[in-house]
Amino acid sequence: MSFRFLSAVFWIAFAGFLAWDWAHSVPVNVRAEPPLIAVGSGVAPSGGHCASTF
Amino acid sequence: MKRLPLAFLILAFSGFLAWSVALRQALLFLVGIGLGAVLAGARFGFTTGWRRLIEQRDPSGVLAQLVLLALAAAVSMPLLAAYPTDLGAALGPPSVSLIVGAFVFGACMQVADGCGSGTLYKAGLGIPLNMAILPLFAIGSFLGSATLDRWLALGALPPYGLVTHFGAPVALLLTLAGLFLVGFGVVRWAGRSAPLWNRKLLWGAVLLAALAVLNLVIAGQPWGIVYGFGLWAAKIATAAHLFDPSANAFWSEPVNAATLAQSVFLDVTSITNIGILAGALWIAAGQSSAAAKPMNGQQWLVGLVAGLLLGYSSRLAFGCNIGAMVSGISTGSVHGWIWVPMAFLGSLIGVRVRRRYAF
Repeated sequence: MSFRFLSAVFWIAFAGFLAWDWAHSVPVNVRAEPPLIAVGSGVAPSGGHCASTF
Repeated sequence: MKRLPLAFLILAFSGFLAWSVALRQALLFLVGIGLGAVLAGARFGFTTGWRRLIEQRDPSGVLAQLVLLALAAAVSMPLLAAYPTDLGAALGPPSVSLIVGAFVFGACMQVADGCGSGTLYKAGLGIPLNMAILPLFAIGSFLGSATLDRWLALGALPPYGLVTHFGAPVALLLTLAGLFLVGFGVVRWAGRSAPLWNRKLLWGAVLLAALAVLNLVIAGQPWGIVYGFGLWAAKIATAAHLFDPSANAFWSEPVNAATLAQSVFLDVTSITNIGILAGALWIAAGQSSAAAKPMNGQQWLVGLVAGLLLGYSSRLAFGCNIGAMVSGISTGSVHGWIWVPMAFLGSLIGVRVRRRYAF
């Protein structure tokens, strides 16, 4: 198997996962957009992080 | 694919994110592109830097990593002190889980020839082993997160943040002193066997520090990698009815449950991960095809098992070389200072395993 073929399989699978996820996740509410820049926004960060326990 | 059409694709995806998801996510995707391009362009490998120090007494990679940590800390710590509500540090608990996880991670990253960031950018460059490892890394990360509560039950202290406890000036002074001591030890151990500094790695360190700070400023949380991996596998396991997140301590927690339900494009870590892959792909597009060394079946098997363990151990260790080491130390988390020696001890074993299987 050539590297090019393996690479194509990888990217097609990855793009497929992203497309599937976009189609099956809760629709994005663009009116509840997070602040563009967190610094100075007064909004606490709310995402998950590798270092967080729960 | 050539660089120009790829650049258009990247811009189109950024436009999609800005229009359909959030401007912040489009910006973070561009930060991720920068991270991937710098990691791949400078071949800034955390794993390779440690291995070259262990095997060849070449300190240039590790010294560049120390410069990255110092620069990122010098900007991040004052910011964290000035904006305590808007920004969060990468605080993980000192625990049995951290000690075991960091040790196993350090060993496996040498066998798999890639840590968190290394696996991502090498997969983006098209290196077969790292492309094959990525899904296993994600599965391991998911399994680690799903069993984290049992590991924490073995013993854990509350996370300890230097900025919160001492303020930014003292936290920064302590961090710089710690980094200087590590650097001093590294230089003494290396002797005169290799040049201390490598210009390309140093530029890489400066640019990575700037991008890591940008990540903190935009997202409000430090750069991370493995949370996104675990999330991707958790989504697939949940959709396939193999996993019930509501019955799991980690994934039933409100933040994680909400992240699991929404698109990965809204997750900070996922979007920078996608950016790193794309940035490395863009670098690869301008070069001739990577000539990876052919591997036999045994090497593939060992490499893939190491990839799975990388994912599992990174969750136990509250981050990989990025989430725990770069982000932990630069934002003043004590867990980062425990992660480094344990992962280095693991690497001492890992380089021997690597040699044993003739990687």
